[in-house]
Amino acid sequence: MRLEALDDRGERAGPVHRLDARSKLLFAVAFVIAVVATPIGQWRILGCLGFLLALLVGISGASVRSLLLRWAGFAVLVSLLAVMVAPGLPARAQHGLGTVILSIVAKNSLAFLMMLVLAKVTSWRDLLQAMLRLGVPRVLVATLQFMERYLHVLGDELARMSLARRARSFRRGSILSWRLLTGMLGMLLLRSFDRAERVHSAMIARGWDGTFHSLD
Amino acid sequence: MTSDMKVPPAVRLCGLEYRYPDGKEALCGVDMELRPGECVALVGPNGAGKSTLLLHLNGLLPGKGRQDLGHHHGLDLAGRNGRRPPSVWIDGIEVNHRTAAQIRRKVGLLFQDPDDQLFCTTVLEDVAFGPLNQGASQNEACQIARECLAQVELRDVADRPPHHLSFGERKRVCLAGVLACRPSVLVLDEPTANLDPRGRRRFIHLIRTLSSTKLIATHDLEMVLEICPRTILLDRGRVVADGPSRELLGNAQLVEDHGLELPLSLTPRQPN
Repeated sequence: MRLEALDDRGERAGPVHRLDARSKLLFAVAFVIAVVATPIGQWRILGCLGFLLALLVGISGASVRSLLLRWAGFAVLVSLLAVMVAPGLPARAQHGLGTVILSIVAKNSLAFLMMLVLAKVTSWRDLLQAMLRLGVPRVLVATLQFMERYLHVLGDELARMSLARRARSFRRGSILSWRLLTGMLGMLLLRSFDRAERVHSAMIARGWDGTFHSLD
Repeated sequence: MTSDMKVPPAVRLCGLEYRYPDGKEALCGVDMELRPGECVALVGPNGAGKSTLLLHLNGLLPGKGRQDLGHHHGLDLAGRNGRRPPSVWIDGIEVNHRTAAQIRRKVGLLFQDPDDQLFCTTVLEDVAFGPLNQGASQNEACQIARECLAQVELRDVADRPPHHLSFGERKRVCLAGVLACRPSVLVLDEPTANLDPRGRRRFIHLIRTLSSTKLIATHDLEMVLEICPRTILLDRGRVVADGPSRELLGNAQLVEDHGLELPLSLTPRQPN
């Protein structure tokens, strides 16, 4: 499994790519807050926000297909949650169950799509830098930086493990049994712990004293 | 030897002992001395304690997992409490929690897996990590990093993320990151493992150009014959032999007794 999905950010430079990452980040967060603050059943406001988002997607030149593909996986999860959560919400009495569920899904989707667009038009590095300049604690930014770096490494490791498993499995079908899957995830977790220790040692070996310095 | 008496040895181990947290003995009284500028190979079977020994040179061991102050977590409290005499010196400086920062400037440690060592978003940031920690300004660190990347012939990859590089390139970036700390002692853990022949050749050439004291833990005996005049054979946490590489590795009985084999270039040629 190559995590190419993580790699295509910011590679094609469009007009939105060149904007200051800080303003993009602030705008995206403001948009998400607006979406979240929209009361249930206010379809007109959500529609306007959706239109704004569509406009942004158009300007940014992000591929609609890839955006929707990523959104689809997330939407399934959110829909399930919405179906479970909605019956317990007080707004149900006023708007009806269907509207509440649809509202939750729509609001989540708008917020999620906005984040996807942000990630499309801003490189990961610029985004982290923008966070730093906006005053996000350095430890948090460093953690995100490590996460991105080691997602690739762990992804490769998982790919090798799953290849090794397939090389020794004689049953047909590609669906993993739960036991195998949990075993593999557990193994991955253990390996990650070991790696984290080695990475820490490597950092200390090059004089790390607990404070992060950056080149910019 | 007399001329070396005034200059302290670059590396000195005296009765170095270490037990793994589970109680298994890893090093049982290792003694060795490296003169400044020497290039020494450390060979031995898997589990002989080579990597464990290397971690001691940088103060990363002993005491992993023990309580300690701040981020010098790798150092043992034992030395401080006087329970155990110090056993590692670098350039005449004893390795302990007080000298840790100083020692880590002197000793550059190259890890076996480059992914353990490349943790920044771009190659340049990673190479600049050491100089920044040493207090260099951003401009200085950037300049040092670029120089070191040029030294390993990877000037062009400075702005790339590490996972876009080949294994050999990542390995060389790691070396650049270590060189950027300007160490006087280079400690390399399996530098040529998993490299393709061209990558290996390049790396050997690179190591050869470095003038610092070098200690190289490896299974690549042909490389040892090529670049290390002296070899130390470690097995079960003990120094079994220490001497000129050709002599030591040419001793068929000795190398086979300790999980190695006679290097091909030292094998008497047989007609096909």
